[in-house]
Amino acid sequence: MGDLKLVAKIPEVKSAVLTDMTGGFLDALREPDGESVAAVIGFLTSTMNQAGEDLGLGALHGISFSGQARACLIVVQGGLVTTVFVEPPTSLPAVEKAFDTSLQGQ
Amino acid sequence: MDTILQSILDVAGVSAALVFDGGGRLVCHRGHAIYDRALCEQLSGTLVKAIDSVELQQEDWETITARYTDGKLMLRRFEVAVTGRHVLAVVADTTLNASFATVATRVATNKLKKALSGGASSSVAGTLSPPPAGSSALASPPLPAGSSPHLPASRPGDSRPMLASSGLSWSQSSSVGLSRIAVADPASSAFLSRAAKGLARHVGPMAKVYVEEGVRRVSPDAPFSLSIADKLIDDLAGQIEEMEERESFRKALAKG
Repeated sequence: MGDLKLVAKIPEVKSAVLTDMTGGFLDALREPDGESVAAVIGFLTSTMNQAGEDLGLGALHGISFSGQARACLIVVQGGLVTTVFVEPPTSLPAVEKAFDTSLQGQ
Repeated sequence: MDTILQSILDVAGVSAALVFDGGGRLVCHRGHAIYDRALCEQLSGTLVKAIDSVELQQEDWETITARYTDGKLMLRRFEVAVTGRHVLAVVADTTLNASFATVATRVATNKLKKALSGGASSSVAGTLSPPPAGSSALASPPLPAGSSPHLPASRPGDSRPMLASSGLSWSQSSSVGLSRIAVADPASSAFLSRAAKGLARHVGPMAKVYVEEGVRRVSPDAPFSLSIADKLIDDLAGQIEEMEERESFRKALAKG
């Protein structure tokens, strides 16, 4: 998932940001402020990783959050963090499925 | 609230359920033995930091789900009148049926909202059941005489109820800044806030002081609870000179 061009093919994905595990910005798609998104996502993944360790749940694979207007899917894989913003939020399961099946194989 | 959390724990794959407020203070928890109060408090503190960062991206978030190798962590937000944002967190293993869990948490947050707002708290008190064997819960240790099942367990060596760290302290949940009064549950806290606001219409800014003094008079030895709300209303009404205003204060509080 190191290439945002694959993500761009999913119609419900409005914007996307690629970062490393420490919140370092690598790439962005239709996201004007990728660096600040990267920093926030870096902090979030690190905090949720901590929560998982405390609970003995193992390594973090991904996070999703959803509200009235949009949803966000964060996928952690191979030291990279792909964050995509999805509209409408009801499309989140479909985008998750797309990540889990076709995109991860590429 | 134990009953509500137990209904989530009954969903296959769920290991623990907890509720914390916007400040990361644990309100209640229930779960398998390893998910004790200390762990749940630590988790609440960690999760509130995560939530703060989510809100930088999406202020109106409703649910957050984190997927791990060996399980899932699901958060659902709900708003409570007076005390504000609360979060229900569910810890589950990989056998969790996500659809069932979503329904269970939606139902639970609706009930928790009512319980924390005061609507159902009195009835909840009567339906508390002992936790099943192997589970950890607020009311798991035997309760001392006169204590409330809503109060969290005390720390070893400390006989005082943990009001300060439980989010049940009036000072932490009240918007009117009454700081030296212990309350039995969030519903009682909400009632005191309403009483102070209602009284302020008639006596001005001294209302907070009158409410604090009134609580000390009607409940000198135990945390204030809704069971003695009528006594407190009578006491506070005595601070209002005009008979008509006194009645209007009584009616406003009785309406809820």
